[in-house]
Amino acid sequence: MENKLEQELIALISDLCNIEDIVLAEVPFDAPLIGPESPLGLDSLDAVELVVAVQKNYGVRIGGKSSSREVLQSIATLADFIRSKQNATA
Amino acid sequence: MKIDFPHRQFAHCESGVTANLFNYHGLPCSEAMAFGIGAGLFFAYAPFIKINFLPLTTYRTAPGSIFKKTTRRLGIKVARRKYRDPKVAEAELDQLLQSGRPVGAQTGVFWLPFFPPAYRFHFNGHNLIVIGKEGDDYLISDPIFEETVRCSAADLLKARFAKGALAPKGKIYSIEKMPERVDLPEAIEAGIREVCRTMLKTPLPMVGVRGIRLLARQLAKWPEKLGEKQTILHLGHVIRMQEEIGTGGGGFRFIYAAFLQEAAEVLQNDKLIGLSQRCTEVGDLWRDFALTASRVCKGRETVQDSFDGLAAQLYQCADREEALFTDLRAAIGR
Repeated sequence: MENKLEQELIALISDLCNIEDIVLAEVPFDAPLIGPESPLGLDSLDAVELVVAVQKNYGVRIGGKSSSREVLQSIATLADFIRSKQNATA
Repeated sequence: MKIDFPHRQFAHCESGVTANLFNYHGLPCSEAMAFGIGAGLFFAYAPFIKINFLPLTTYRTAPGSIFKKTTRRLGIKVARRKYRDPKVAEAELDQLLQSGRPVGAQTGVFWLPFFPPAYRFHFNGHNLIVIGKEGDDYLISDPIFEETVRCSAADLLKARFAKGALAPKGKIYSIEKMPERVDLPEAIEAGIREVCRTMLKTPLPMVGVRGIRLLARQLAKWPEKLGEKQTILHLGHVIRMQEEIGTGGGGFRFIYAAFLQEAAEVLQNDKLIGLSQRCTEVGDLWRDFALTASRVCKGRETVQDSFDGLAAQLYQCADREEALFTDLRAAIGR
């Protein structure tokens, strides 16, 4: 299924951050993920949870040389990062 | 005019600026290596120093010290200036750029318009490199951005003279002369020895592993002492300092782990590979602490029940760091 990972990530964030009042299917994959412009309304504390959840669910570590700031720009950048790491270890 | 400066993106500003300046001057250097030689890893919890009206918690050394120590240990000659008069500060920056020299600057993040709004908080220890000027815009290599950025002269001046804690006072720095020969192993060992000494032996209760335990003791009492609203503010501040500077939640422990891995190769010391792995595990413990703390701040866990658990996580970080730096000191010797 196309964009399966992106959709999975939106569902994960919704579950993690108790997002209830947003139509998840309408969230653009390239919209800002964190900050006042984020359609999901995430802030830096939510980012901490997301970084840990990504590591636990996908076995991919964000941090050190891969800056969380860069990776968490949007759902699309996060999905690309996970795919690139998974392909590198495949 | 624009200096032909090879920009590289990194996780942390000052180590990134240091590595990029060294690279420009012909000394290949990674961010992790600059962080390690500059003994950037640290911990302090100083309740009497306030940042944004909240107690200072820091996971790295003071702004400027990584560059200072790295250049000193590698024998690199540096020029530094601070200013009272913004006009003089701007004129001297332009003069240095005209002479073809890239210039490091300490700035306040809040005043830098190229930062996304989510990251524009009041932190005056942000470092960047000015690499040119076109019209009224400065050209900037800011290592936390993928590409070089532009900033108007007025905005950069505001950022260089931001007020408050760690006020930069227009501080700039540049490399004047590189040494003919660099003793990398000696610089690495000196950096490691300093971090071990600071984390284990500083005779102040708020620094190093003792500082982590002090935070644990005090944090456990916050709900009772401060009330719920202030407790959440204090806790949020502790993890923001850990997380928002691009460390991925490990409070710089992941960057130090990468340094130990590189150091193992340079020093031909296999013990450092295992210690690097342990440092990553300590970073994971800090990240777990940040996770629990952020859930408390967001109301996803109850405040009263969580603080003993948070304190226990901090004690665990302190114990693991004490063991790590004791073994690291032994691995380096002397």
